[in-house]
Amino acid sequence: MLVDLFKFTPAEFVALLLSVKIAFWCTLVILAPGIFMAWLFARKSFFGKSLMDALVHMPLVLPPVVPGFLLLVLFGSQGLIGKYLNEHWDITVAFTWVGAAMASAVMAFPLMVSASKLAINQVDTKLEVAAQSLGAHPFRVFFTITLPLASPGILTGLILSFSRSLGEFGATMAFVGNIEGETRTLPLAIFTYIQTPGSDFPAMRLVLLSMLISLGALMGSAILERKVMKSLGRGTRND
Amino acid sequence: MIDINVRLKRRDFALAVNLKLEAKVTGLFGPSGSGKSTLLSILAGLIQPDMGHIVVDGECIFDSVKRINIPIYQRRIGLVFQESRLFPHLNIRHNLTYGLNLLSKQNQKFSLKQIVELLEIGHLLKQRPHQLSGGEKQRVTLGRTLLSSPKLLLCDEPLAALDIRLKNHILPFLKRVNEEIAVPMVYVSHSINEVLILTQSIVMIEAGEILASGNFYELIAHPDLLAVAHHLGFDNIINVKVIEHNNKFGYTLVALNKNRLFIPLINTDTGAEVTITVPACNIALSITKLDGLTIQNQLLGVVTAIREVDHRVLVTLDVGFIVVAEITLGALYNLDITLNKPMYCLIKTQSMGYLGEV
Repeated sequence: MLVDLFKFTPAEFVALLLSVKIAFWCTLVILAPGIFMAWLFARKSFFGKSLMDALVHMPLVLPPVVPGFLLLVLFGSQGLIGKYLNEHWDITVAFTWVGAAMASAVMAFPLMVSASKLAINQVDTKLEVAAQSLGAHPFRVFFTITLPLASPGILTGLILSFSRSLGEFGATMAFVGNIEGETRTLPLAIFTYIQTPGSDFPAMRLVLLSMLISLGALMGSAILERKVMKSLGRGTRND
Repeated sequence: MIDINVRLKRRDFALAVNLKLEAKVTGLFGPSGSGKSTLLSILAGLIQPDMGHIVVDGECIFDSVKRINIPIYQRRIGLVFQESRLFPHLNIRHNLTYGLNLLSKQNQKFSLKQIVELLEIGHLLKQRPHQLSGGEKQRVTLGRTLLSSPKLLLCDEPLAALDIRLKNHILPFLKRVNEEIAVPMVYVSHSINEVLILTQSIVMIEAGEILASGNFYELIAHPDLLAVAHHLGFDNIINVKVIEHNNKFGYTLVALNKNRLFIPLINTDTGAEVTITVPACNIALSITKLDGLTIQNQLLGVVTAIREVDHRVLVTLDVGFIVVAEITLGALYNLDITLNKPMYCLIKTQSMGYLGEV
């Protein structure tokens, strides 16, 4: 019985791999824009900043099905952008794993931005000025001073985004549906089992697996963060 | 040569400065809020003035009419602040070479080795900034700035955050930098004593305007400026030569011209040139030489200037060098102190401070 907990069916295995693949792409795609947006919010003032900030963070407070539905309206095969993509480049995102990654990205983006913003805010601008006075172009200052010093917070943002993507349900369901082998990630597979009478045991198996992955991600990030902090010289004493 | 003519107006502050700096080191001093740091920020490019121009070494770095405003990273103006601003994620070597590595070989004025030796920081290279003491951090900051080969070095109260003992440890390095390295320096401090150790060429600034500029000792011949200097905590600063140490009685004998002075025991070689301070309020005046007194230092001189400041009087005397003594108005009248009158300056040994070797 206990051994059966680790006997995954091929379909469950596919769901696991799919989840990881989607979470990976989601995190990769939002990395650079997330940091850029965070830097913009932390360091610049511009017209419409509050509105932009609110828009970016909206997926955090909206029911996930709403962004999912909006994505469908925009990127569905008859949608404003989806139709164009389909006709001119033969690209379909709705009801594919790419769409699932997009849905995850939209949901995870605010987490990436707020964690990075907090981290960049904590970097002393005086250090940036010092670097500039030593002859470094602001671009170089960003990559050699700001980014490394903000990296623990950015790392947190990445882990949060990855985890958010692994757990994404509502937006995915609305935008790309629940197609086995294409968009059926772990949460959707669990949902499917719950909907099927007599499938409590496999459902529990995937629930445990999800918990294990989450635990691993959180513990891994804690260890990684400690290592990064140490390399920044903040491990023992605050400077 | 630096030519600054700038104006800046903020809601509660206005700065109007027209200056030509030619000395190798210029001390910029004035009370807090007088605009010293603002002026430095304008030079560095951190603050843009409303109008005017700045020319450093013949290169225009700001001109409101010609719409020139060279960004900070192209100005090649080095900054050393009160707090060290070392990059916490880089070790000392990488901090030092941050600016150096951005320069082409022919633009590198100094090598890492040269600066490391000058500032005696070789043993720190592998350490992280948080492992260093305050004094070490400031030396590294100074080194890092010098290695970026600045055309001009701006120091904004670099020693303010350090205690006296550490200050006395850093000042010799600043002097050394000043003597061995051909980088013009503007040194900001609210402590005139600190400035005078490095240079006599000073600019006094108050409420956003230049009060005076030139040689300090010539400036304070003007009673108004002497009063300002005194108000800002000016002590007599004297360079003397060590004659002998007396460990038994706890004093060091030093000489300046024909005068001999007893100062508290210091730890130097005999023959060394050292800088000492004598607060004006710790100098008493006497018409005759006094016997049977514990005060060992009695120097004969003549009064060269008298200036009243808030019920106190600053008396300038020439005792072979210039000293300023602070006495009460009552004493001035009772002793009938007038210009050119010979007087003895009485200075308690323990009231004198040691600033470091010249």
